[in-house]
Amino acid sequence: MRTSAILAFLFLSAICLYTASASTDSVPVSESQSNEMVRDTKDSGEDTANKNNELKPIQVELESAFDREQSQPSEGQPTEAVSDQEDSDNDTYEDTTGDEEYEYADTELNVSVIKDPIQPYNRKIYTFNDKAYYYVFKPMYTGYSKVVPEKARLSIGQFFLNIKMPIRLVNCLLQGKFKGAGTEAMRFVINTTVGVGGLFDPAKSKFHLERQDEDFGQTLAKYKLGQGYYIQWPLIGPSTIRDTVGYAGDVALNPLTLISFFIGPIEGFVTKTYDDINETSLGKGKTYESITTQAIDPYIALQDAYIQNRIKKIKE
Amino acid sequence: MKCRKVLPAIFFGIVLSISTFLIAGEQGEPGKLLMNTIDSGLIILKDPSLQGADKTQERKQRLWNEISPIFNFEEMSKRTLGQYWKKRSPEEKKEFVELFTVILKDSYIGKTDTYSGEKIVYITEKQDKNYSTVQTKFITKNNTEILIDYRLINNQGKWKIYDVIIEGVSLINNYRSQFNTILLKSSYGELIQKIKEKKFISQK
Repeated sequence: MRTSAILAFLFLSAICLYTASASTDSVPVSESQSNEMVRDTKDSGEDTANKNNELKPIQVELESAFDREQSQPSEGQPTEAVSDQEDSDNDTYEDTTGDEEYEYADTELNVSVIKDPIQPYNRKIYTFNDKAYYYVFKPMYTGYSKVVPEKARLSIGQFFLNIKMPIRLVNCLLQGKFKGAGTEAMRFVINTTVGVGGLFDPAKSKFHLERQDEDFGQTLAKYKLGQGYYIQWPLIGPSTIRDTVGYAGDVALNPLTLISFFIGPIEGFVTKTYDDINETSLGKGKTYESITTQAIDPYIALQDAYIQNRIKKIKE
Repeated sequence: MKCRKVLPAIFFGIVLSISTFLIAGEQGEPGKLLMNTIDSGLIILKDPSLQGADKTQERKQRLWNEISPIFNFEEMSKRTLGQYWKKRSPEEKKEFVELFTVILKDSYIGKTDTYSGEKIVYITEKQDKNYSTVQTKFITKNNTEILIDYRLINNQGKWKIYDVIIEGVSLINNYRSQFNTILLKSSYGELIQKIKEKKFISQK
């Protein structure tokens, strides 16, 4: 009875959110977008004009970043433009994924706006992670895949995804995506009931309700927090300062964390690791391999793929 | 206890009414060309006479013959090298295009070994004079959806792909970041050396 009451409550709140969102679709977001658009148009004009002048300062800045030095931009318009870019680091990358830009010039400019001053350390962690993947995780998940059939693994993955609904719901709300929050709540209700406790995803297959892939890192980005330095975390993988803070927020919202608190830290850890391995067996591992094995510099390839993918998610 | 029966009924009614359906847009010239090429590629992958491990090489070659004409390798090379492209001599440019084509062939055709009923669905496309972006959706057999955008450029009436964007990750951007990192520290010759070494490894 209690569970049905909870479900009913969620459902009602979902309807409220859905109807409320019909007219007001994410106010803070649209505002920031218009700002960006203004910036973009202004930039593209300037960028093409003194493209060659600007490329040099970027290079200089990058080189000094590698040497772990703090670069002090000198006077002059070109350098100013560069520091402007640095301030709002997603913007430049957005140029490539945006709709209007097709100009050859700006594809040259967004060479690397990723701030990576601790690259020597990051590279060491990357090598460690890569070895850990091939020697520990890959044997683990391939063995696991042999024992557990794919359909079961998919259902287990669905189950964990369903449980982690609060992360997506709360972040939808924080980003002002009320429609998304409503979708998430409805998805949870449908998948928990019709989808047999979250083992299946009828919300998507039958009702065309897509999962809202929102996390705390994206929320922070919507609040105009810069991404900060790029960090390779041992075993966790690529991240930035912003996404690390976001990750902590997601862990706090993850119901699996409750297991650590109320049942025991070991059980919690085991469940989370299991979730990770299950997820890796369902294609995450393949993605990692396809990014790095075809790369000339796998570290940079992974970094770039991570940052580009995050920017796409933030834009959504 | 009546509400137990009524509530789900209302709930399903509302859910059904709000659920949205994807309406496929009309395909333009680049979209048609791309989807036709993908279709003919899929025919080769599905061809029963080309199945099996011993036919892998033949299958890959035929697939490559089918899809490679739609790629503009020179444009891709130009964009990956970015500012460094202009400084290259015509011979160097030619060599780089060849090397980069091998990389792309590797990363594209290499993945087709495990084809098992994946689908590619056309979503929409945007055209702006000589540039076009065709959005497609790659649906794996687990129903995982991967968004793949193809960027095409019109060169004297011929549309050709110059970039592939998978889940927001642009192929060209990815390689450009790598090449730039290498070129900031070392010479162009060393970059070529690294690419050649890599090719050697993947052929082993």
